[in-house]
Amino acid sequence: MQLSRDQLVQAYRRMATIRAFEERLHEEIAKGEIAGFTHLYCGQEAVAVGVCEHLADDDFIVSTHRGHGHCLAKGVDVKGMMKEIYGRSTGLCKGKGGSMHIADVDKGMLGANGIVGAGAPQAVGAALAAKMDGKGKVAIAFSGDGACNQGTTFEAMNMAVVTKAPCVFVFENNHYSEHTGPDYATATASDIAGRAEAFGMKAWRANGCDFFDSYEAMRELLEHVRGGNGPAAIEFDTERFYGHFEGDPQRYRGDGEIDRLRAERDCLIAFRRKVSEAKLLEAADLDAVDAETASLIEEAVQEARAAPLPTPEMVLEDVYISY
Amino acid sequence: MAQMMMREAILETIRAEMRRDPTIMMLGEDIVGGMGTAGGPEAIGGIWSTSTGLYEEFGPNRIIDTPISESAIIGSAAGAALAGKRPIAELMFADFVGVCMDQIWNQIAKFRYMFGGKSKCPVTIRLVYGAGFNAAPQHSQAVYAMLTSMPGLKVVLPSTPADAKGLLTQAIRDDDPVLFFEHKALYGMKGEVPEGDYQIPFGHARQVRSGEHVTIVTCGMMVGVAERAADQLAQEGIGCDVIDMRTTSPLDEEAILDSVEMTGRVVLVDESPPRCSVASDVAAMIANRAFAALKAPPQMVTAPHSPVPFARELESAYIPSAPKVIDAVRHVLAYR
Amino acid sequence: MAALKPFAMPKWGIEMTEGTVAEWMVQQGTPYEKGALLALIETDKITNEVEAEAPGMLARIVASAGETYPVGTLLAIISDGPATDAEVDAFLATFKPADALGSAGRGSTDRAPAPQPAAASPAIPADFAISPAARQLAEARGIDVSTVPGSGRNGRISLQDVEQAVRPPKPAIGGAPVSVEVPFAAIDHFYASPLAKRLAHQNGVDLATVTGTGPRGRICKADVLSRMVPAAAGPRVQPMDKVRKVIARRLTEAKQTIPHFYLRSEARVDALIELRRQANLFLGDKASINDFIVRATALALIEVPDCNVQVHGDAIHYFPTADISVAMATDRGLVTPIVRSAECLSPHEIARTTKALLARAKAGRLGYEEMDGGSFTVSNLGMFDVDDFDAIINPPQGAILAVGAARRVWGEQADGSGAFESRIALTLSCDHRAIDGATGARFLAALKALLEAPERLFPQT
Repeated sequence: MQLSRDQLVQAYRRMATIRAFEERLHEEIAKGEIAGFTHLYCGQEAVAVGVCEHLADDDFIVSTHRGHGHCLAKGVDVKGMMKEIYGRSTGLCKGKGGSMHIADVDKGMLGANGIVGAGAPQAVGAALAAKMDGKGKVAIAFSGDGACNQGTTFEAMNMAVVTKAPCVFVFENNHYSEHTGPDYATATASDIAGRAEAFGMKAWRANGCDFFDSYEAMRELLEHVRGGNGPAAIEFDTERFYGHFEGDPQRYRGDGEIDRLRAERDCLIAFRRKVSEAKLLEAADLDAVDAETASLIEEAVQEARAAPLPTPEMVLEDVYISY
Repeated sequence: MAQMMMREAILETIRAEMRRDPTIMMLGEDIVGGMGTAGGPEAIGGIWSTSTGLYEEFGPNRIIDTPISESAIIGSAAGAALAGKRPIAELMFADFVGVCMDQIWNQIAKFRYMFGGKSKCPVTIRLVYGAGFNAAPQHSQAVYAMLTSMPGLKVVLPSTPADAKGLLTQAIRDDDPVLFFEHKALYGMKGEVPEGDYQIPFGHARQVRSGEHVTIVTCGMMVGVAERAADQLAQEGIGCDVIDMRTTSPLDEEAILDSVEMTGRVVLVDESPPRCSVASDVAAMIANRAFAALKAPPQMVTAPHSPVPFARELESAYIPSAPKVIDAVRHVLAYR
Repeated sequence: MAALKPFAMPKWGIEMTEGTVAEWMVQQGTPYEKGALLALIETDKITNEVEAEAPGMLARIVASAGETYPVGTLLAIISDGPATDAEVDAFLATFKPADALGSAGRGSTDRAPAPQPAAASPAIPADFAISPAARQLAEARGIDVSTVPGSGRNGRISLQDVEQAVRPPKPAIGGAPVSVEVPFAAIDHFYASPLAKRLAHQNGVDLATVTGTGPRGRICKADVLSRMVPAAAGPRVQPMDKVRKVIARRLTEAKQTIPHFYLRSEARVDALIELRRQANLFLGDKASINDFIVRATALALIEVPDCNVQVHGDAIHYFPTADISVAMATDRGLVTPIVRSAECLSPHEIARTTKALLARAKAGRLGYEEMDGGSFTVSNLGMFDVDDFDAIINPPQGAILAVGAARRVWGEQADGSGAFESRIALTLSCDHRAIDGATGARFLAALKALLEAPERLFPQT
């Protein structure tokens, strides 16, 4: 299906923003200013954007610990996210959550989650809520090749099928479950989507390093789900360029593996190539987006650094709405 | 006013609330019962008879009979709550909280806080707890101590049908996550229930007996045990101030301390084993804040440090009883 | 069948081993209310009041007033209602000292009596399950730890276990059945704490009129109390505290039992005032007029020793020294600390003594010995401009002197001329059982003479 020029620019902008955001964090974290664990999404942008370009604010997503990409793709505020990662009181979560717990419920982003697999049942719940409303809205559960082994994922898939919840199980297979390869840890490593099929839902498969492939597969899938046919699943074959967490020495990689991945499986490079071959956009258009993105990220970092730090009284705020 | 059993009061409350608020939905195992069988939906009328007839009135979008998947049930409730609904999730036995603890502890309890106060999770989890039916170690526990300790959760234990209605109404309308503990041996308890709409605020203990010699602090099914002990002691001229906490989180510290300041002696009665229990927690609070008023150390009457045994004689020995409470009161009065 | 409970000599503090029953305050067989004064028990430190913990009566009084008994001895038998002699005798037969726990029907015969402190006892074996602090206490008190129940793991004995074993049991609480019903138990729409509800119910406060300032906006005790102070009608009811109760009781008794009579006189104090001024200047120390009066009183008592007495029943105690109780007003009420041997002290020494006593009185730190045993009281209301008054004798003293303010009065002088004089009124209240009119008069005359020749108030050097 053909995308309009604006849609193409928008998609590229989203992916470029994610890439720039994550790459900048990689630099900044090495300087030691940022506390805690951060998990970078570089290399998987096509999945997040390929999925979320189909979604509105009242469609829901539930993310993982590697959630920056999903947040940005869903339209969550870049600067608010940066402040949150920098632990500022004006961050999206007032410095209470940090990288692993960024959420923006108004934009349908029901939270990144530090517990592997915890999001899947929550997405089923959000889908049930959507089903009550009857407006054809959906809920997406992002999982990795690690979460696909967690009991909650299976429970969620079964529950989604029996309740006919408009829930989408997205499996991002980036070939590493923390520091372990899927061939070792996942019994059906070559076919995660098959698990979903075993529960009785339709499953798609797509190249998660190619925006167009991802986007098209999702389009079909969402038509199916929004049409009231119950849940569906999709497995994306994708790559992550950085470690499980920042600081991971990645000794489990092969020689030259990352260089090869960046050369051969970079979705931004692939996007550029496709749109210029098909004469849909000029290089200059994309360069302009890159430049705007770069300055946006630079602003975000500067503002985050200057933003106010939280104070001790804030520890007790927001534990309850009222106690 | 109407006489009804606690399970009826709970059912009536859920029904009234679901009529009033279309965003309320309910999930649980066998809350309808009979789904996908020859007997058809409602073949059993809800496993604890606390959801009878709801499916017929509200339909399958709002009353969801689930597979046996505690994590999925509670997780769905969490997600639906974040997505704007007001879910009631039932755990058929409170003991199953172990199966889905992550969704309660790391997810529901923490959403509001770690999302910077921008989300609300108005979920009510109803758990069926307690010993007395010889249901053996894995189906008889009182797990509320652990959940009381978790910031972000509210924990409620009604002891009468009237309280069940008022507290459940509050729980459902409360925008914070609430764990509502229903004692299986209290389901059949009859009591006067006022008609009409009323809520009992959380953190507001109930005074069950009024006396000046000893304070007895308790909750849930142990309230009846304390009442029997107090009535017997009253015959001997010993007056007990019996306080039903109603909610262990938030805790009505003021009611407890006001009473202890008057009597100087306190007995805590708790159906759980003693370590890290609500009894120990409240005893420490009293010792910390009312030490000067105490004429004797706080006494605790609890279950022993053991799982709940199966055999009738063993289970009776496990559960705190009125004679044990009476002994504790005498003991605390005899302190020199 | 009455429920009988023992009333044994209590143990106040680790050191107390015995007490004296100073007075029984209730009659045998007379019912009393909760809080009623049962007895006054004296120790070497203090006289303590024993109050009833519940309504009842003393079915039999066993201990005699004025006698001393060891801690734990049965003093009386408390009953919730009339008891037959047979019941009381039966109770007495089974009573063991230090085994006074619980009501008669509880079958405490298998309880071991509390261990008696022994002069020497075997050392506790090193491997005995007992905490270090408990071991220390048990060894110091010679307690046989084999009879102490241990509350710890496997019966290990703690400090608390030893202390509980050492102390004799308290009189048991209980008696006639009580009602424990909660009258305001119905669920209502008032968000009020249980105590606030109880208070409101007891005092007729309508919760609808009360605003809550407690946690979560709840009505709490303070909110109800603030409603209970009525805007216009009714007096503020303040129950008497312990001190005031004692004062009330003693002075009522004094007024009712002592045959008071009153002698009135006046002294001219111009010379005294001038002498005081000069002495204060000269000595650089401040003595008040009252300090001089106390001095004068002391000397007058030595001159007329028949006024320096205490009355005890049929006996009169004559005191060799003038131990003068000086009345002082404090926030806590009237106290009368004693200036002992005032005849040996100069006015300024008396001043220092009374200042120190007043400071301690204000801090509530006056000890029992500072207030017990004076032979005469001086009470001066001159600083309040009272002209004269009749004071009530403080038993067991025989008399009390009331002193008024100095007034300027026109009086006839020795040479027949008239002049203004400063005069103070002196009113002597006497106990006619011990002091006759003539005796009192002689004292007053001596006092007046001393005050009018104040140089006699200084010790002759």
